[in-house]
Amino acid sequence: MTPADEPVLLGPLVVGLGAPDRGDDAVGLAVARSVGVLGLSGVQVTEHEDPTGLIDLWADRGVTVVIDAVVSGQPPGTVHVVETGSDAAALPESAWAGEGRGGTHALGIAAAVELARALGRLPRRLVIVGVEAAGFDYGTALSVPVAAAVPDAVAQVLAVLHGEDGRSPRAASAPEG
Amino acid sequence: MTHKLSDGGQVLQVGVLARVEGEGGLHIAIHDGKVTDVQLKIFEPPRFYEGFLRGRSYTEPPDITARICGICPVAYQFSSCLALEDACGVTMPDHITAMRRLLYCGEWIESHALHIFLLHAPDFLGYDGAIEMAADHGPVVEMGLRMKKAGNDLMDLVGGRSVHPINVKLGGFYRMPTVAEMRKLRPRLEQALEDALATVELVSTFEFPDWEQPYTYLSLRSEAGYPIEGGNVVTSDGGAWDVREFTQHIEEFHVRHSNALHSRLDGSDAPYVVGPLARYSLNFDRLSPLAQDAARRAGLGETCRNPFRSIIVRAVELVYVFEEALRIMDAWRDGQVPSVPVPARAGEGFGATEAPRGVLFHRYVLDGAGTILDAQIVPPTSQNQPSIEADLRVMAERWVELSDHDLSHRCEHAIRNYDPCISCATHFLDLTVDRT
Repeated sequence: MTPADEPVLLGPLVVGLGAPDRGDDAVGLAVARSVGVLGLSGVQVTEHEDPTGLIDLWADRGVTVVIDAVVSGQPPGTVHVVETGSDAAALPESAWAGEGRGGTHALGIAAAVELARALGRLPRRLVIVGVEAAGFDYGTALSVPVAAAVPDAVAQVLAVLHGEDGRSPRAASAPEG
Repeated sequence: MTHKLSDGGQVLQVGVLARVEGEGGLHIAIHDGKVTDVQLKIFEPPRFYEGFLRGRSYTEPPDITARICGICPVAYQFSSCLALEDACGVTMPDHITAMRRLLYCGEWIESHALHIFLLHAPDFLGYDGAIEMAADHGPVVEMGLRMKKAGNDLMDLVGGRSVHPINVKLGGFYRMPTVAEMRKLRPRLEQALEDALATVELVSTFEFPDWEQPYTYLSLRSEAGYPIEGGNVVTSDGGAWDVREFTQHIEEFHVRHSNALHSRLDGSDAPYVVGPLARYSLNFDRLSPLAQDAARRAGLGETCRNPFRSIIVRAVELVYVFEEALRIMDAWRDGQVPSVPVPARAGEGFGATEAPRGVLFHRYVLDGAGTILDAQIVPPTSQNQPSIEADLRVMAERWVELSDHDLSHRCEHAIRNYDPCISCATHFLDLTVDRT
């Protein structure tokens, strides 16, 4: 493929994934909002609840960062960074089989990633920033350790964006997205 | 995996039954090639919703009960609204009922599109799941995702969120969407209607086991239109009664192997079925000409009793709800009140709507201040447990010579015919097979 044939990729996308009223499930939204207020030029920041909806959002993107709450047994507030994308290897089946096959009516983020890969609709680079959650009780605020981890998670998002354009993200006159 | 028993029999244990909502298991006992017992074991713990609604305000159930299920919250919202409004003696104006129907169309679209393409189609096409199927059938999965997105957008517009809508209140809505907002959504729904027609054609080409259910079918039926947001109860045995008589006809009872109550109809131990097959077979005349024509071209008659063909019926229902959503939006005019007052009064109220997987019934008893004294919720999956077991008794006997893996897969397929929602029912699945 010649350079002229290569598809034009859209600018970076940052997605906070989660429910606003289920405790630490809202951490992705909190991180996305913190990134959004920085008004980074050329960066679209959005919030989403349904992982299958991400397939439309991130198709044709050069880079997408998704922030979500995770449960892996690590101490609450631990920030995980997982690199994937159309140029990267698939996530291990163990990451999605429980939800893509054995799961419920809704697919989780890992199943959405591999479904998008099968459809050829993953961004070139997809980074999942996961924040270890303490609880998902209805109507509760972020737990103390998870709230304290928000700045670290924001820094991980900015590091991805910085790495993409080789310079520090800068504020624009008006936020996009 | 298979374990030898000391008496020479075998127990087959398979992991959690896939692509259903919630936690449960299936136990099948086979003796000399005959199925001797089938138990659908719902071990998702009881959730006590009915208990903790007692003592709360009559304005709370639409928000609280919506949390019972992430895929059918609208069903819980509107069944509870109808029951509470009935208790308070308030009837909704036509435009609020129409807006409820529009939001409910969004929920049916989300639920049916997800089930047809990501959960049920892999069974027919021979894949373990949607991800494996997507590698070979990308355009098919894309079509399903397009329709699901149209449903999400409709839920966003009317409900304020695509998951757990926040715009519903007792007596109506907090805010009505505008004609201008609906106009923006129209092209996506028109495309989705074309996709739904293509879906009916596609799923009609699948191979279906030849079998018809002999059970009684039960659904709602409305004065006009296919039953969605309300109606009275009808059965395939000629029964026809008001929702207020639900508890006189439907008796809930506990079985040892399930945390979800079973239900019996008019004292009979024979199973009855709620959901798409029942709705379709009792309301074919209420479908639009386009949906009826799509059904006929797909080889369906005016009734359908083959549970495996439920995937076609769901696709026909998709056609109907996309048309219906467009119809309601085209007739909408701005400036109508979003809600009407529902003053509290002492009394008992009954409400039922057609959740994507069948009739969902609510009953509340209120005191004069609007405090809930008693609450009862009868979800569709709970009502369908005996018929799922009865289906498996027949099907497992046909499949008894299959390998453990293939038997498990077929049984899961037969269960998914019902698109069961186990978390709703406990108020589902490990599979164990005793072979002796």
